[in-house]
Amino acid sequence: MASIPLRNPSPEALEKLSRIVGPERIRTTPAELYVYAFNAGMHRAMPGAVVQPMDPFQISAIVSLANEYNFVIIPRGSGTSLCGHTAAVAGGLVIDLQGMNRIKEIEPGDLICVVEPGVVCDRLNAALKKHRFFIPGPASSEVATLGGMVASNSSGDKALKYGATRDYVLGMEAVMPTGEIVRFGTRTIKNSSGYQMEKLMVGMEGTLGIITEITLRMAPLPQKTAACVASFEHLSQAGRTVAEIIGVPILPVQLELMSRACIEAVNKATKLNLPPAGGMLLIACDGHPEAVRTEIEAIRTICSRNEAFRVDYTEDPKRIDELWKGRKQMIPSLSALKPEFATVMLADDMAVPISRVPEAIVGFEEIERQYDILIPTYGHAGDGNLHTKVLLDPENPDHWKQAERAVESIYDLVLKLGGTVTGEHGVAMSKAEYFKKERADSIPFMRAIKHALDPRNIMNPYKIFDWDDGFLSHLRYPVEVSK
Amino acid sequence: MNRTFDDLAKQKLETINCTMCGYCKAVCPVFIDVGWDSASPRGRMTLAYGLLTGEIEPDISIADRLFQCTNCTDCMRRCPSGAKCPEVVRAARREMVKLGFVRPAQQALVGNIETTGNIFADPELNLPEQDGPNLLFIGCQHLSRPNATKKTIRLLDRIGIQVGIMTEVCCGFPLDVMGFTEAHAAQKQRFEDRFRADGRPVITLCPSCLVHLREHYQPSTSHILQEIDRRLDTITMLPQSGTVTYHDPCDLSRGAKIIDEPRRILKKMGYDLVEMSTSGNQSRCCGGGGGILTWDSEISDHLSRRRIEEAVATGADMIVTACATCEQTLKKGTRMYAEQSGTQPIPVRHLLDLLSKALA
Repeated sequence: MASIPLRNPSPEALEKLSRIVGPERIRTTPAELYVYAFNAGMHRAMPGAVVQPMDPFQISAIVSLANEYNFVIIPRGSGTSLCGHTAAVAGGLVIDLQGMNRIKEIEPGDLICVVEPGVVCDRLNAALKKHRFFIPGPASSEVATLGGMVASNSSGDKALKYGATRDYVLGMEAVMPTGEIVRFGTRTIKNSSGYQMEKLMVGMEGTLGIITEITLRMAPLPQKTAACVASFEHLSQAGRTVAEIIGVPILPVQLELMSRACIEAVNKATKLNLPPAGGMLLIACDGHPEAVRTEIEAIRTICSRNEAFRVDYTEDPKRIDELWKGRKQMIPSLSALKPEFATVMLADDMAVPISRVPEAIVGFEEIERQYDILIPTYGHAGDGNLHTKVLLDPENPDHWKQAERAVESIYDLVLKLGGTVTGEHGVAMSKAEYFKKERADSIPFMRAIKHALDPRNIMNPYKIFDWDDGFLSHLRYPVEVSK
Repeated sequence: MNRTFDDLAKQKLETINCTMCGYCKAVCPVFIDVGWDSASPRGRMTLAYGLLTGEIEPDISIADRLFQCTNCTDCMRRCPSGAKCPEVVRAARREMVKLGFVRPAQQALVGNIETTGNIFADPELNLPEQDGPNLLFIGCQHLSRPNATKKTIRLLDRIGIQVGIMTEVCCGFPLDVMGFTEAHAAQKQRFEDRFRADGRPVITLCPSCLVHLREHYQPSTSHILQEIDRRLDTITMLPQSGTVTYHDPCDLSRGAKIIDEPRRILKKMGYDLVEMSTSGNQSRCCGGGGGILTWDSEISDHLSRRRIEEAVATGADMIVTACATCEQTLKKGTRMYAEQSGTQPIPVRHLLDLLSKALA
């Protein structure tokens, strides 16, 4: 990709922005601009300014200004996205939505709640718990905002049974790229009313507008949860077990797979004391107590049949909570595995058909050996969503080149198995190259939609189908990797 | 401009070890108050990284974020990678101080310690020396309230702990936490010249002195609440009544892991104990830590008010703490809260003062 021209707000535009949000809610200091260049992924790029608007009218005025002065807008929540979604590759204005964090309604009788985009997932769930409801969130639910979750269609370890964020979005208010404040969708559980624009906005990664309010359906909290931890000598045995459980059919609420490296990482970073094993499944079932017991018993039998050398069972909510906290800490735990190496977000959330999980795992292990690079495998194996993380010296260009070859092999395998390059984190920059291979037929239509809604290419440009520079540019680490 | 940050360079691995997951944002009291990402632990790690790589030039916006940290260390507790953000912040502060990013209040505090040996610039701030099988290190804060401290010493005597007292100088904790490397080294020397434990067990009253003494001088140093707790079964007290909530000082709970001892003591005294929404090793800072009072007292005020809100929500009659700095900060918070809410201020008491009363 030729160098990207910067489209920062001009001094005059900054002056007008200050009048829209107030001088306390706009920042151009080195501290703010540098920090807002980063996020939880491996890419970064510095914006020209950051604002914290407090309502849709301010946002609408900002977007109108962006059209007038031709600067770029990058919406941002907590900055926990993993693929470069919020990297300001063309400079521009970051709109930080963390301040718009009101829970506006909880209507148990309608099965809905209404929130602003800056509400953090765990905070919403704490409020919903009083009414015995919840929304399934990602591993980062204690910091991830609902706006970010919707914009990246994120999901987590409960997606197998409860679905992804998309399945909970019923309606929304948004500011479109031309500045209009619009309402999409409904407050009803069902809706056959034409094109579902609210669903189009899910997973758009900030490229089609700014979400200012979300109407979500809620899921009832289950009466009981029980979990078992099955340890296997080989990762492939664990993989086979997954497909067998789903095929019964049993739909656990969580079915997580961890490789040996991941088990070691979690044990090192937490006090979970998981038994050493080549592969491990964390399985949880929820629902009516009797149904939970029956399902867990069947699962234990399947695990034993697939040569699990140990199957532990618990109904203790504290222990279950501990186990999943350990799993939620997987990404950061891996970085502590080899202190001289860093965990980088590469090939981080592919999904394959559930029955192909064992082939994928065996393939990943072969790729790990072939490229002599540490690639721990873990993931929400129950829905076919696997994670690998690459551990490397982030300042060594050779490591990156090696990683690039390994990642290409991983994605080739995933696509061969009928999978997708991203199950829950999104595309943005780090997966754009492979996404374009996967969705070649869709891209002209995606581009047409983007152009129709955002004719001046204001909203988070150069992302998803418009990112042409692979994943080795705009790295957040102090390294230059030649093409 | 090419700069070399020798102190910060030692923390490079920590800055790379940070995966930027952002989980620290959920617990950092300053970020929760300020709301900009640069005010979060992840933000400070990023700024330290930028200084190290030379991608950003030191300026006041960066100094602000680094000195706004309260050193509560809750980020380190929460960090799944175990990244030592507070240590990175301290190293970065040292670099900023070397470059002259110093506020008058900081300079005044440094001057106080250098000229008088204590943070209050009071040359008379000491108790008469006495011999004893244990050495009590009182610390500046408790020396500044001599009557209460004398009662504490009598309390110790009554429960069978005879303590020696020396003419003290500041242990150097404030200099260390604010990043004044040279002043800290000089104070360390002055302290070591004066500090003669001679093999005697050392007991402290102040949580911050405790962690500093353990780190720099005598790892076996204990806190007075540990000593009292060990003898709790043998102590007779006048029964007290009421519902109290206990505010854990960061250095005592996360720093020295002293969490259960004050609670056992309060229960033994007869109080009903109710916990705030954050307590124990997850307790929220009162706003008095990390030298923030010398850099940004407005944020400190916000934090103390938030902590008071947590305390008020418990329905307790009184807030008890075990740190003189926390006590003062919380007292200020109660006054602000009372003024703004039109209510009576909730009393804030030091646990040692309550103990002295219960043993009178």
